[in-house]
Amino acid sequence: MQPFERAEFFLRDVSETNTESELADALSVVTRDLGFTYFALTHHVDIRRALQPAIRLHNYPADWVEYYDANSLGVSDPVHRASHMTSVGFAWSEIPRMIALTPRDHEILLRGEGQGIGDGFTVPANVPGESNGSCSFANPAGMPFSEDDLPLAQLVGGFAFEAARRLWRVRSPIIRPMQKLTDRQRECILWVARGKSDWEISRILGIQHETVVRHLKQARERYGVGKRTMLAVQALFEGSISFTDVLKR
Amino acid sequence: MVTLAECVPVPLRLPALKGMFEARKRVFVDLLKWDVPVLEDRYEVDQFDDEHATYLIVPDEDGGHAGSARLLPTLRPHILDTLFPDLCAAPPPRGHDMLEITRFCLGRDQCAADRLETRNMLVSGLVRYALENGVRTYTGVAEMGWLQQILAFGWRCRPLGLPRFIDGRMLGALRIDISEDTPSLLEANGIYRPAPLQRLEILEAA
Repeated sequence: MQPFERAEFFLRDVSETNTESELADALSVVTRDLGFTYFALTHHVDIRRALQPAIRLHNYPADWVEYYDANSLGVSDPVHRASHMTSVGFAWSEIPRMIALTPRDHEILLRGEGQGIGDGFTVPANVPGESNGSCSFANPAGMPFSEDDLPLAQLVGGFAFEAARRLWRVRSPIIRPMQKLTDRQRECILWVARGKSDWEISRILGIQHETVVRHLKQARERYGVGKRTMLAVQALFEGSISFTDVLKR
Repeated sequence: MVTLAECVPVPLRLPALKGMFEARKRVFVDLLKWDVPVLEDRYEVDQFDDEHATYLIVPDEDGGHAGSARLLPTLRPHILDTLFPDLCAAPPPRGHDMLEITRFCLGRDQCAADRLETRNMLVSGLVRYALENGVRTYTGVAEMGWLQQILAFGWRCRPLGLPRFIDGRMLGALRIDISEDTPSLLEANGIYRPAPLQRLEILEAA
């Protein structure tokens, strides 16, 4: 079968799937055809603590998954972190060129290798306003995969992630756009992000201390967060303030 | 509201479209570093910006440009068959009821939340335009990150071929099939905005 025909075959397969196990079956077949042993399609969250329903489908060895979850690797996994740097699929051998690896990262990669997850190819799937995600294909160390099939893996990974989103969406509420921050609230959050206290902000903006406290309280309520650090992070995530705004002098 | 401009003899001369050409330069040339022509150091205009192109524009609060997209007839030369035929496993699909979406542009002076809202308005406008004008299929070329977003809108997408690295960017070609239930598919993802299309008066362009 020509590579693109294989992709079309897979897509016809998944367009009719209505359950996670059907999707997992289709993925495990196409994974083999792509010359890989394992697949993992997942949101990059701590799966045991995720607040929103998170996607995860895989056929990784159980011991590895156990270790992975116990150590909350969903968030810190170097493969996941690297996938936030690009929108194009990458071989894991590229990771050291994409992110700075810590000794702990090397330990994780080595431990994965010991469990049969040696080398792989990861397709990032980052949808704005949702947790980052990816679809990875992996092999035991020393079992090479063919470069020629990587465009097909890219296509399959991308469409598989969307098929999973479609299945999971049924369970997740649609997040409506939040009410906008006022200009004053936004301004206060900018100074929070720069590490200023409420009193300092009141001096900088030339307004009452209590006014700053009120602006920030209302802003926290808009995002449904309790702490000022989370408030700044939320405003950055949503784009109400930007890194450039915070960092410029 | 989404503004619609069709059959404009010289699009760049239409004052109402100038903001769009400027925004396109700021997005595609300045930000995304595409190698496309720029006029007067200010406007991104190519050989397809002529009377055969259709434009959908989402205005901002002051009537300026927040977002826009260009539709090209597939029976005439367009991006996919002219520039990227290799992205299709078969000859690029063409037909009276098939248009190519190009230059999907979200203005840069918006915060992320506003940009998503502009995007939702524009995608909804494209669906509405298709349903009102007998368009059954859109085609398009997209970079991988954008392609993943297009899939995530929830409408029916199929790849036209394997993605390829072209000039350092990994691109893929898609077809999007539009039918009566497309609005509800977008709605299931929370992105459908049933805004009317407002046709632009183009007398001034004569």
